[in-house]
Amino acid sequence: MLPYLDAAYRFARWLTRSSPDADDLVQESFLRAFRGFDGLRGGDVKAWLLTIVRNCHASTLRQQQRRATVPLPEELEEAAPEGVVATVPEPESASLAAEGERTLARLLARLPQEHREVLMLREIEDMSYREIAAVTGVAIGTVMSRLARARAALRARYLESDAGEPRAVR
Amino acid sequence: MQCADSLRVQAYFDGEVDAVSALDIERHIEHCAECRALLLDLERTREQIRGEFDYGRAPAALRARITRALAREPQPAASRRGSAASALWRMRPFWAGAVGGVGTALAAVLAFLLVSAVPSAALRDEVTDAHVRALMSGHLTDVVSTDQHTVKPWFAGRADVSPAVADFAAQGYVLIGGRADYIDRQRAAVLVYRHGAHIVDVFAWAAGGHALAAATTRTGYHLVSWRVGDLEYCAVSDAGWEELAALERLLRERATLDTAH
Repeated sequence: MLPYLDAAYRFARWLTRSSPDADDLVQESFLRAFRGFDGLRGGDVKAWLLTIVRNCHASTLRQQQRRATVPLPEELEEAAPEGVVATVPEPESASLAAEGERTLARLLARLPQEHREVLMLREIEDMSYREIAAVTGVAIGTVMSRLARARAALRARYLESDAGEPRAVR
Repeated sequence: MQCADSLRVQAYFDGEVDAVSALDIERHIEHCAECRALLLDLERTREQIRGEFDYGRAPAALRARITRALAREPQPAASRRGSAASALWRMRPFWAGAVGGVGTALAAVLAFLLVSAVPSAALRDEVTDAHVRALMSGHLTDVVSTDQHTVKPWFAGRADVSPAVADFAAQGYVLIGGRADYIDRQRAAVLVYRHGAHIVDVFAWAAGGHALAAATTRTGYHLVSWRVGDLEYCAVSDAGWEELAALERLLRERATLDTAH
């Protein structure tokens, strides 16, 4: 199971969009896996583990939604005063290397979760349709159509962001 | 308007179609400009994601935290084969390596692993020797066939057991034949697979008093063993752990199917 810790962590980061939450989620998932709450059927440990991560995340979300008074993360962000740091231009060396990744990360983050997760599982974790279907709990046909829509959406946004933001002369 | 074949093109791109469909789709792509463009887009998107994605590794602190938490857990019942506990058990070499450096946790985990099955060193040696002897003499197979329907009946009368037999050429494990051998004082059936440059012998015999450790090493050979019903299986090879584990998965699935019918 521990060989898949990195995969579980990557997946958790994308689900929670925050590192501390991802840490908790991964630990909770490993405990659940270890206790055998979700029995391992078939033989694919990685898919089984990621399924548990996803289920844990879903139940955490449900718990949070029940506590209705807690503001959503987006609202908190908006309410916070503009940070000084954000307006300071970054040193060139760091910004060039990180630029591509930040654009992609931003675009991916804006996709709906069901699109984001199939893309992650397919392109980063290199899982088959059957495995993705097992993790996300939908039919293979749904995996295929979601994947197609997710890829199209990402492509469209990438082109959009390319056109919208003036690029440095190379 | 999107071409009706776009999902098939995507499946082709993702390596999800068989050879016949692949040919069919390739022919279609030659004529359909839209699907040609789609294929190009799919490639670009993949390159972008894989090229720019931050393959962050789990922080060391988290790894340590989880190892500690797992060490505190009460041990799951060792008898529940096929459960999470036995998944951990089968992963022992990786697992043991990953927790290295966390002394107490390592000790706790290893203690659990060592007591949950009584591995027989003699049996391990016996299986490894049989494998090496077959390689040395060049007498790998008594029956040469990639056809499970030839190999399986061949065992009748020559071995005491009738194991699950299947060719997994599509997954990289080519069945090249079968052999009878003598393991644990009985006539064992041996399936012989070729995986790349490696030969994998899968021994099968009636499970008795002795059990093999789920994963073990002898003189550089790796042994992965598992049990389905009353049959003990052991795959031996100089191939890597992952490769043996993958073959185990395939054979387990096959054995489960066999018993279901």
